[in-house]
Formats: sequence, structure tokens, C-alpha cells
Amino acid sequence: MSKIIKRTLRLSGSQSYNHTEEKNFLMIGERTNVAGSPKFARLVREGNLEEAISIARQHVDNGANVIDICFDDGLIEGVPMMTRFLQLVQSEPDIAKVPIMVDSSRWEIIEAGLKCIQGKGIVNSLSLKAGEEEFIHQAKIVKRFGAAAVVMAFDEKGQAATYEDKIRICERAYRILVDQVNFPPEDIIFDPNILTVATGIEEHNNYAVNFIEATRWIKQNLPFAKVSGGVSNISFSFRGNNPVREAMHAAFLYHATKAGMDMGIVNPGMLEVYDEIKPDMLQCVEDVILNRREDSTDRLLEYAEQFKGQAGKKREVDLSWREEPVEKRLEYALLKGIADFVDEDTEEARVKYERPLKVIEGPLMDGMAIVGDLFGEGKMFLPQVVKSARVMKKAVAYLTPYMEAEKAKALEGKIKEIKAEQPDISDEDALVLAQKGNSRGRIVMATVKGDVHDIGKNIVGVVLACNNFEVIDLGVMVPCERILEVAEKENADIIGLSGLITPSLDEMIYVAKEAEKKGLKTPILIGGATTSPAHTAIKISEHYSGPLIHVLDASRSVPVTTALLSEDQKPAFIEKTNKKYQQLRENHAGGPQKESIPFKEAQANQFTCDWENYQPAVPEFLGTRTIENQSIRELANYIDWTPFFHTWEIRGVWDSETKVLKSRNAASAEQAQELYRDALEILERIIAENRYTAKGIYGFFPANATAPEDGDDIEVYKDTSRSETIAKFHTLRQQVKKTSNKPHYALSDFVKPASYGDTDYVGGFVVGIHGVDEYAKELRENDLDDYQAIMAQAIGDRLAEAFAELLHHRSRVAWGYERPNEFNKNELIKEIYRGIRPAPGYPSQPDHTEKLTLFELLQATEKTGVELTESCAMHPGAAVSGIYFSHPESRYFALNELQKDQVEDYAQRKGMTYDEAERWLAPWMS
Amino acid sequence: MTSVKEHSSFAPLRTLLSKQIAVLDGAMGTTIRGYGLDEAAARGSRFKSNDKDLLNNGDILSLTQPDVIGDIHKRFLEAGSHIIETNTFSGTSLAQSEFFVPDPRETGKGRKDPEFFDRKVLNNSELIDLTYDINYQSAKLAKMWCERISNDTGIERFAAGAIGPMTVSLSNSPDADDASFRTVTFDQVKNAYIDQIKALIAGGVDILMVETIFDSLNAKAALVAIQEVEEEQGVKLPIIISAAVGRGGETMISAQRADAMWNAMRHVDPIAIGLNCSLGPDLMKPFLQELSEASETHISCYPNAGLPDPLSPTGFPCTPGDMKDFMKDFAEDGLLNLVGGCCGNTPDHIKAIAEAVEGAAPRVIPTLETANA
Repeated sequence: MSKIIKRTLRLSGSQSYNHTEEKNFLMIGERTNVAGSPKFARLVREGNLEEAISIARQHVDNGANVIDICFDDGLIEGVPMMTRFLQLVQSEPDIAKVPIMVDSSRWEIIEAGLKCIQGKGIVNSLSLKAGEEEFIHQAKIVKRFGAAAVVMAFDEKGQAATYEDKIRICERAYRILVDQVNFPPEDIIFDPNILTVATGIEEHNNYAVNFIEATRWIKQNLPFAKVSGGVSNISFSFRGNNPVREAMHAAFLYHATKAGMDMGIVNPGMLEVYDEIKPDMLQCVEDVILNRREDSTDRLLEYAEQFKGQAGKKREVDLSWREEPVEKRLEYALLKGIADFVDEDTEEARVKYERPLKVIEGPLMDGMAIVGDLFGEGKMFLPQVVKSARVMKKAVAYLTPYMEAEKAKALEGKIKEIKAEQPDISDEDALVLAQKGNSRGRIVMATVKGDVHDIGKNIVGVVLACNNFEVIDLGVMVPCERILEVAEKENADIIGLSGLITPSLDEMIYVAKEAEKKGLKTPILIGGATTSPAHTAIKISEHYSGPLIHVLDASRSVPVTTALLSEDQKPAFIEKTNKKYQQLRENHAGGPQKESIPFKEAQANQFTCDWENYQPAVPEFLGTRTIENQSIRELANYIDWTPFFHTWEIRGVWDSETKVLKSRNAASAEQAQELYRDALEILERIIAENRYTAKGIYGFFPANATAPEDGDDIEVYKDTSRSETIAKFHTLRQQVKKTSNKPHYALSDFVKPASYGDTDYVGGFVVGIHGVDEYAKELRENDLDDYQAIMAQAIGDRLAEAFAELLHHRSRVAWGYERPNEFNKNELIKEIYRGIRPAPGYPSQPDHTEKLTLFELLQATEKTGVELTESCAMHPGAAVSGIYFSHPESRYFALNELQKDQVEDYAQRKGMTYDEAERWLAPWMS
Repeated sequence: MTSVKEHSSFAPLRTLLSKQIAVLDGAMGTTIRGYGLDEAAARGSRFKSNDKDLLNNGDILSLTQPDVIGDIHKRFLEAGSHIIETNTFSGTSLAQSEFFVPDPRETGKGRKDPEFFDRKVLNNSELIDLTYDINYQSAKLAKMWCERISNDTGIERFAAGAIGPMTVSLSNSPDADDASFRTVTFDQVKNAYIDQIKALIAGGVDILMVETIFDSLNAKAALVAIQEVEEEQGVKLPIIISAAVGRGGETMISAQRADAMWNAMRHVDPIAIGLNCSLGPDLMKPFLQELSEASETHISCYPNAGLPDPLSPTGFPCTPGDMKDFMKDFAEDGLLNLVGGCCGNTPDHIKAIAEAVEGAAPRVIPTLETANA
């Protein structure tokens, strides 16, 4: 006796889906149907298929067994879109695993879909609408491709609404398919039309009953056939009233599945649980569905009034983790970055652990330790870790008042003790003494200027606080001056500097130097992802005579801090560290160094071209133009997202056409998608709430390079008479020895020298995004949401860059050598256009003080509100400035290995002392 | 509606499969290598002045070295094969174009895309003639040897037209920047298969064998092609479907699980479905079991002689004795209806496999619940 294989609907994508008896209702996802999801429709119309694909993925993740894909929309070319979309789906294993429902009212689109699916899908739909011949023809092709088919209860005369018509048409279709086409009966899926009830028209009242009864009849009389339907139709008359619609769907499905309905197009987010429908609601809804009373529609309408405009149930969220013990819940919340329940869970833990500190040291730190491990193993990404920290921060914030109260109480006790011992002491002095006794030491911590990364610092801060150190956290992007000022004022025992991005290393050097100047001896701790013991030893520690120590991670912070604050351990510890650093320095000293050439030689090898015949581009206007309030939405289009992801330590290149991060690491690309979604969300909010103001200025001026003997400078003239010089840009020249014949570049090389005739021009620009720091601060302090705060800042930076890009684009058009739409977005990001916009302070001209000249020339501060700090940093931080060069061969280059001979010459040209020039240029000198 | 009749091979094939485990043949490619042919021999006079090397174009040997191919057929049949495959693994214009049409990427002028195939391949009359000749002559050759050995031994033999996977994929984009790009269209692949199938049938094959499936969508195109030819000619040939799965049990290119593939292909009512190539017998076994559980048709199995091993003389590690042991074990587990060997299996291997399954009971095929509809 051989085994019997059940005859049932057996579908597949890259995996099989067998609709066997133990399977319940087959959920067909409809959010990949342009008619079922306005968002999907919009994304497809906009050509944003990557995001459209991500909707399919979410759908599968949320439990859709089959996804219905439909592009029937006047603005979409159905055949190519169906083909392209399904081909994209095939390259997404998470989506390609499920069977596809190819949905269209146009046969050629269905055929196109069938040609793209390797598995067994479902065609939606066939019908007798255009007669038997066409029905048979189409059914044969569907069978040839091995797909199942939805067959609508529709014939030459129209759609079946009554029970009799439904079963008559279904039976007729079934007999043709089974007897004539030899179509497998288990592959026939009837859709006997779910039609809207409660419309006020009397004939419609029995529509749900007709469907349910037709279903029952089909299942009893047409062996192996399946029944399906689009459920949301039933409640169409209650559009906008989701609570009622959700209840109607649930009640309808309850009765229809009991009658044998196998599957349906259902939005799982628009479905109430039948058992959870309130009895009075259920009564009203079922009266309508089952057509139990003549006045049932009126009664439901009346009942429904109270829910009008309510959003109804939100997206399905798995809350099973809420059943776990409190420690596990906190761990889960930390791992997943879910802040929704943190207060109640922390409270529960506080009661359980009796002391608030125990909660931090116990479950919270345990959870963060797991986060740290996963991050270290590359299993979590920075944005996720920041979300975890947000939860941590909220938990700690919840506990803080309790800890304060505890501390106050302890303090009170201590004061009493002190007063008992020294009855004459004043209240103030007793308080000071008591406070001192209570803390193991005071630590001032900051993420250095230019860096927004403080997650590592936050963790260190929490760890130290938990170990009874008093932590004063100055936050992120803290200027050196403030760090040192607070450290002095608060009499800090230790200064902690944190930074994640490479430029922070230089800033740390700067802080060390400044601390040295002030004569501080306070131990400085260096930490953060790009820091290292070697860099600390070689580059930083030489600038500071006090202890300066690299701390690998949060776990190392406590022993280091303890040693430094202990009179006994301190000397030995410092001795040991110094030895280690000395060793590191010696190891390094043997390394290679770059050779350089004398400044005069470099100048002799400058870039040149056929200046004689060179015709510089003439800008269409001279002077400046101010943009008072640039549309942020327009800027959003110019954003180059790649650096945004780098901020979050996600590597790869963002393709702005497809909106995908091209990364070797698939998980990074996925994380980028999530980050991108969050970024767009906050960007929308920024725009809607008018959070940021973008101001900018740009302009053009007649200019020429000076004669070589006068140095590598650019003279800017008041007008085309070129008689009055109103500004002079000073540039620096490469001095590194080159093995090739390449020139030694300076920016002045790209401007026509005055000796060849006075015809060239340069431009300049300054843009700034105002409101960023304020918004980030609000998010950080009011919402305790570092994730959003950092996001707001990172987006601010991107908008500033985008603004610079947009203005550069306009300037090139104004300069007349680029057509407005010559390059697409990706090409703009790749900078394939002519001309450059180097910024003072960056590799081609590292001297920040050139900004002073630029700002004055443009009157930038007055017009844009962007100010220059003492160190020539721009404030607000989300700002960009630069000089425009139009020469076709102008290019960016990097300066380093600057020699004393050039710096001397430069200082003289700039009217600075040598020491002053050296201070600004030190990092680029060898 | 046109009525499609069954080909006369159905009845004897069903009888064979009901009585015993049928034996397939071994590797064509690796066996050809044993004859030590050189480039000149492979080209013969017909392809003497072709631009590209043809030594690795095994299919043209049916035209330039028919005696060698005939000898291989003969040796497999003498070793005990009931079913031998025609030497047509790459017998489509799309696959042959690799040897005869300049690759646009070599000159830096464009890429292979549907337009290229339309212009240079699918309407290239030389290629069309060539693929017809390959399939027609290969079918004739295999059929002739089947008949000869049938007459000599009194045991019925069958020539199966080999329909290979092609060198292009319908499921995979070669363009890292555009996951939706495809080198060819479904219709192009289908039409190329139609040409091959018609020539194989004209040459007299008894069975159509869609094999070494890397990409299930290519295979689906082949199956649609077969059905269209059936409809047109009014005759249906037995079909064998065989996939090449990787270590995860998924088709190598389109990553489809074997049971999912079965769901997508059962509608053609193949006489057998199975696995071949890629994995050696031991690694293939669990996936064969899955397929055996799910399928209400015969199961075929012709694995490589182990995973490729450049140090063994045939390039594959399993000796005839090894294959014998494996297949004996498979047969005892009731997994087999048809058995043979893929890459690395010589006539000696097939002889050993035939011995292994001689007298062993074939797998009892499950029945599908009756459709009393």
C-alpha cells in the first residue's frame, strides 16, 4: 500500500507553502498592491522600488503567507513594472521565499508576472467575464506555468451578487476548468465577491450572508476548490472609522472561515480579535453582517458615531516579552531599544532591589554588558546601541530622584556626625566636608569639539557613577575651553575626553596642549573608538606633563580611575603607564617619514596651463546673492547620505537613485535602511515644525593670481576695472617630494595670473543651518533621546553640505559652463562636474583663518548669521564655507609635510608672526 | 481543444519502472576527456576556422567525432544503462553562442543583454542550424545505439534528450547596480529551448530530460517550451526533471528548495523528478529524501562521483566500488526509481551501480489523493 499524498493547494516561492489541514487561514498580504496601499502606490509611481520592496519584506516579516502584487494604476506601466518588481523580489531571499500572487485585471501583466516567478504562484484573477473561450485560453496558460488561479464569480452578464448567481457561476467555471482544461481542482480558488454591506441600500444588506452561504456551498459541492476574498470591502461604508471596520472584518472572517473560507486578502493591522470585540459592538456588527435585523445598519451607524476618526489598532507588536521577569524585560528593552515600558519596569526593579543603585549595577548594567558584547562582535550597530543607551538613560533618569534622596539622607547623617565631632563648625563647611567624604572623586567628562559621539562616554559615565564617582558630563561637541574651565571650577580629580571620529584625535591633542598651558596636572583620560594607546603615547601624551592615559573601554575605566585617585597606587600606576608609552614611542620612531622639497622648488613646479589662450568663465553676475530662507525640502534632495551613515559607523556607499547602501556587509545595508527611514522621519518633522532655518550667501568677484615672486596668493578686486584690491586669499603649496612628474599644487594655480591679462574670477560661499543645536538639546534634555538628538545633528550637518552642493550647482550654472540639469543626483554627489569649492581648514587649504577673509568679503556673518569663533570654527556647527574655482583642471589635493621655509613665507604674506602661523598649521607640518 | 497523445515510449518505460530500479548513464563530459581529443579533433573540418577554442564544446563532438560519442553510448549501454542521455547538454543557441559569437564585453562594446541575444544569437541562422544539427544528430546517435543494444540484449533501452541549464540565468542579475537586470528574457530562453526540443524529438528521443537545474526559472521556461511543443505536435513525451542543489538543498543559482521546486513543476506530470550533479551521493541523500517524501512520481538520482577532487584520475574521488556502496544503501532505504551518475562516473561506475541495484526493490511511489471532482 503506497503512501497517499493529500491533494491540496501546494504553492511555493523559494520555499514551499502547502495549505494542509493543520494550516488555518492563508493570509494574503495586500500592501504590495497599489490599490491596497496608497504608500506603496506612491513609492512605485515615484520609482522608489527599493522602498516598495521593503514594504514587501515587512509584509512577509509580519506573517503574510503569500504576497499579492498589483500595479493596476493609470500612472504605472504595468508590464515592465511587474517584471522589474518581481525580478527585484527574486534577489531578496527574505521575500522570494513566499509564493507570489500576480494580480492584474490585464492579462498581459499577468503573463509578464508568470514569466518571472520560479515557484508556484497564484494568478489573480480569471473569470468568465469575456466568455468561455478567453477563460479557457487563459486557464491553459496558467496551467502551463503551473500556477493556481483565483476565479472571480463573474460572467458575461456581470458580477454575481446573489447567492444563486455566485454558486451558478462558480460551478460553471469549475466544470470548465476541471473537465475541459484539466486544471487541478485544488489549484482553483474562488472569489465569490465580498461586497460592501450597510450602505443604506436594502439589496446590499444580505451581501455578507450571500458570500458566506456561497462559500459553504462551494466547499461542499466543488471538491478541493478553495475560497478567498478581499475582506476590507465588506466595511467600505465605514471608511475613516477603523474601530468599527476592524470589528466588522473580524466578525465577518469568523463566520466566513467557519463556512470554509480558506484565505483572503487581509491587512493584519486592520483586524480585531473576534473574542476581544466588545459585546455591544459585536452585537451591532453581527446584526449587520448576518443581516439579522431590518434596522441593523442604522443601529451600527449610530453606535459607530462614538469611534469616528479614531485610529484603531496600531501595527501588530509582539509583546510576549512582557511576560518575562523584570530583569529579562529590562534586558530585552535594552537590546531592542524599546523605551515604552522602561519607567514601569525600572520601578518594579527598584522595589525589588530596594536600592536604586542596585538596579543600575544589576539588571541595567548586565543588559548594557550584553549590548557592549554584541556591539563588539559586530552583531549590533551603533544606532541600535544608541537606542539601547536611550533606554538606559531613561531608566537612570527615573532612578535619579531616588538616588538623590538617598544621597541627601546619607549627607544629612554625615553632617550630623561632623557636627557632633565639631560642634563649632558652620553649616556650610559641614556640608562641604560631608560632600567630600561621600564621593570617591569628581570626574569631568566630555566628547570633544567636533564630535557628536557620546555613547561610549555615556556608558563610562554610568559605570563610574555606579562606582560612586561623581560624574559631570558636559555632553558632546564640547570646546576645549569649556572642558578646562569646568575642570578648574569644579576642582575635578580627573578629566575624561571622548571622541569617535578621527578629527577628534587632533582636538584631544589641542585639549592636552591647552591644559598644559594652563598649568593643569589633573589626570586626563582618553577614550573612544579611534583612540589607541599608540596614538595616545606618540601624539598626545608629549603635550601634557600630567598623567595622560588611554582607557580601552568602560570596563577599564574603574580600575584606572581608582588607581589615579589612590595616593598609594598612583605613583606606581603612572610609572608603569609612562614606561609602556615610552616603549610605544620608541617602536614608532623607527618608522618611515615622507620626504619633502624646498618651497622654491615646489613653486617652480607649480601647476600651469596655456594661460595665454585660456578664456576664463565669466559669471552672469558680480557681487553677492543672499538666500534668506532656503527650503529645507529642496535641500533634502541634495543630501549625500553616505557620510551620514559613516557618522553612525555604517560603511558603504549610498546610491541615491535606488536608495540602497552598497556595502559588503548585508546587515549594514539593512541597518542603513532602518536608519534612513528614521532619518527621513525626523527630517519630515524638522520641516513640518519649521525647526531649521537655512541661510546662505554666494558671490563672484574679479580676481587674479599674484605674480610668483609675490607668493601663491589670489587678489580679489572690487570691480572689473581691477584697480582696487578688496581681499587677498593666501594659499599653501604642496611640498611633499613626488616620484611622478605631477605638479606641486596650490589653490592659486587655478586662477589666471595677472601677468596674462586681467580676466579671471573667483567665487565664495557660506551656508548655515540654524536651529540644529537647539533642537538636539531639546531632544536630549527634554526627551532624554540621544538617538534622535544625534540624528537631528547629523541631519543638520548633511543639510549644510547639501546647501553647499546646491549653491555650487547654482554657481556653476551662473558661471555659464554647466546646464541646469546636466548632471543627475548621483553624478553631483560624485563631483564629476567642472570646478571645485575648497573650504578653508580642509586639506587643500588647511588654514582656518582664511575664513576670516572669506567672511569679510561676503559679509557672511551679517547676511547669514554664521559666525566665526576664536578658533575660526563656524557657529552654528552645521555650516559650510568655501571658495569657488572654475578652472576646468582645478582639483582637490591634500597638503602635508609643510616646511618651515614655506610657513615663514606664508606668515609674511599674511602679516602674521611665524609662531602664529605655525600654531594654525602645526598638524600639517612635518 | 487539441488532444495530446502519449508517446509510445510511455508504456515500456512505465513497465520498466514498475519492476525495477532503472539505470541511467554516467558522465558524458568527464568520459569524453578519457579519449584524449585535441582542439583539431574537436573542430573537425566543419569548425576548422572558428575564432574561439572548441575543445570544451562537448556537444559539437556529436558532429565532429560521432564515433567517440557513439562509443561512449555503447559502453554505458553495455555497462547496464537503461536510459542514456543525448550529448546535448549545451545544445541551445544561447549556450552555443558562447563558442561562436564574440562576447561584447571583450571589446568593451556593451554587454550581454536581451538586445544582444536578439541581434546576435536568436536570429543567427548559422547558430540555429548548428543547434538543430547537434540535437538532431545526437538524438539519432543515442537512439541508434539504444536500438542496437536493445536488439543484442533483448532489454529495452531509451534515449533521453538532455536539456541543460544554459549559461544564462533568468533569476540572477549580473549587474551589481541593478538587481532587476537580466541578460535574457523568459521568452528568449523558452524559444531557444523550443528549438532544441523540436530537434531532439525529430532525432527520435524517447524521453525529455530537463536536467542539472541551477535556476528553476530557466527550467520553468524549458517546461513551458515542452508543453508548447507537445500541444503543437499533439504528442507528449515522458519528462524527467533533475535539479542540482548545493549544500543547503537549494538550486545552485535560484536558491529554491527541492520540495518548493516540485510544487512548481508537478503540473507537467513528469515521469520522474530527482537530483543530479553538484553534491556527491552522501551530501545529496537528505535532500533526495525530502523530495521522495513530497513527490508522487518516480525519483531519479545521479550524483557526481563525490565532490570534485583534482587529485583523483577522473577528477572525482568516488571509485566504482564507492558508488556501488552508496547506491546500494540508497536502494535499501527505498529512495530510488532511477539511478545513474553525473560528473566523474565512467562506464565502470555505471556497471557497479547497476550491480548495486540489481534485484533491489524500486521505491514505492506515493499516490495522490484521487480527484473525484
